[in-house]
Amino acid sequence: MNDEIVLQVEGLTKIYRSLFTPVGVKAVDNLNLSVRRGETYSIVGPNGSGKTTTLKIILGLIFPTAGSTTIFGSSIADLSVRDRIGFLPEDAYLYDVFNGEELLDFYAGLFGYPRSRRRQLVDELLTLVGMQANRKVPFRECSKGMRQRLALAQALVNDPELLILDEPTSGLDPAGRHQMTRLILELKKRGKTILLCSHFLAEVEEVCDRVGIMYRGGVVAEGSLSELAGEPTEIIVTTSGVGEAQAAVIAAQPGVLSVSDGVVRMTKESGDQLWPVLETIHQAGGRVVEVSRPRPSLQDVFVRAIRQDTVEEA
Amino acid sequence: MTPQLISLIGAVVVVVTLALTRRVWAPAIVHAIPSVWRIAKITVAEARRRRVLQAVVVLVVLILFSMTFFSYLSPGEQSRMLINGGLSAITVFGILLAIFLAAFLIPQELETRTVYAILAKPVKRFEFVLGKYVGALIILAIIVAVMTAVLVLVLVLQDAMVKDLPDSTFNPNLEGVLFAALMNYFAIAVLTGLIMLISTVSSTTMTVISSFIIWAVGSLQSTIHDLAEHADTAATKLLLQVLYVVVPKLENFDFRNEVSNYLHVSYMSGWDALLQGLGYTIVVLILASIFFNDRQV
Repeated sequence: MNDEIVLQVEGLTKIYRSLFTPVGVKAVDNLNLSVRRGETYSIVGPNGSGKTTTLKIILGLIFPTAGSTTIFGSSIADLSVRDRIGFLPEDAYLYDVFNGEELLDFYAGLFGYPRSRRRQLVDELLTLVGMQANRKVPFRECSKGMRQRLALAQALVNDPELLILDEPTSGLDPAGRHQMTRLILELKKRGKTILLCSHFLAEVEEVCDRVGIMYRGGVVAEGSLSELAGEPTEIIVTTSGVGEAQAAVIAAQPGVLSVSDGVVRMTKESGDQLWPVLETIHQAGGRVVEVSRPRPSLQDVFVRAIRQDTVEEA
Repeated sequence: MTPQLISLIGAVVVVVTLALTRRVWAPAIVHAIPSVWRIAKITVAEARRRRVLQAVVVLVVLILFSMTFFSYLSPGEQSRMLINGGLSAITVFGILLAIFLAAFLIPQELETRTVYAILAKPVKRFEFVLGKYVGALIILAIIVAVMTAVLVLVLVLQDAMVKDLPDSTFNPNLEGVLFAALMNYFAIAVLTGLIMLISTVSSTTMTVISSFIIWAVGSLQSTIHDLAEHADTAATKLLLQVLYVVVPKLENFDFRNEVSNYLHVSYMSGWDALLQGLGYTIVVLILASIFFNDRQV
């Protein structure tokens, strides 16, 4: 990853107006974000927070009320920019009467590749997404997971530098989600810059370098996972075989916050006291199962950010 | 100045303007051709796979063959009836297919959101509209060609069956039939362009309803002109004049009467209709591209 900005969004606002809502509904509100080359950036947020609207504006499918977006320093209206990006739409909307081979050949054709190159590309991509065996299955007969993988393959036909993925694991079963996450990690390893939009926080946690938490059209928190989650707040020692009497002895040790159900919670600064505590557990006939310094999960960060935004607004 | 001189001057102005501005439009056209062609091809392939169109063609073929059963007519009457009925069937089914095909082409892409993956690629929106239009033209050309071929086959078979009868006056008038069918196809092409324009700004239902109205008005343009001449109020006159100017003159493409009654067919008037239709179609496609360019998808 380097500091070159691949995608820049500045002051982006989108208001949907209609005859019945002349004031309009603000879907995106003064949004700023930037994605650096080689990083995987994720926009997370609840349904209706403006994630998909933002992606559609970035791709030029809809137009902003205010603000601007640039990709590789140019507007999306510049066709050469679209030569360098790939897009996986939410819920994989592709022509359902065609099979994977035909679909990929069609999308590759839109980049002007000759037939021999297209044939080679189709083979490579079907192999990458694990669809070689099902290359002749019409899209409408594909499972949800197969559809999603084909849709990812069509986003890769031009070997894009920037990959924009809208809810890539939406509607997939755990096995499908795992498969898709592996694919995204593989693409990340190949140096792709990825902008990912999702509300599956576990997947985001696994693949992303930076996260922007979007709520009511704006980014309410942004940063790497460690920046957002902060430093570990405590040390947790999980034990087994510790009785109530021994628990009271352990609880009396310096740095120990509480002992409950075999879980010893210690302050984050109490690293020096850890060894005596472990010895006490051992002497009390207990067994140490695990010692950890957990950070808040993305789920915690997400809930905290949204709650904070709601409180500030109130 | 005669109308011919005005047309000539207009054509020279257009050619000179195009030549002077070629640096502006030529690169766009060069880029557009492959994209338009690929979108047109997939439009045709999709329609072929959906099999609805095949079903309609089979229905029309059955109707055309069933017309040969009117054996109680004299051979002369029978040929007249076959030509008129056959060309009418081609017109009606061709126009109906054009309406339902063109009205759904772009809205369906928006509804199923297949357009997202295409417009995220280096495809300009006008290329998408043109690709869809060319695709529709190819589909309709195939359908009209199949229906015309069946009509010609029916006429040839019927001619072979009755030509040895005493005093047979059966005249298949194949040249006239082919000309009328071709002109019918041009009318369908003009109407398809207009329907696509409407579909870029309106719902599918409204597009279908307005297409039927346009078909009716376009087929009665001389009547509309006469009504405008004799209108009671200024508002009615204005409305009728607007309809006369805006709606394509589809009746100029209709040679059924001349061909089935063995009247003189003026190929020049067909040529005039074709040129007018071409100009009209270029304008509506430019407007469709402009409207679709500004559309939030």
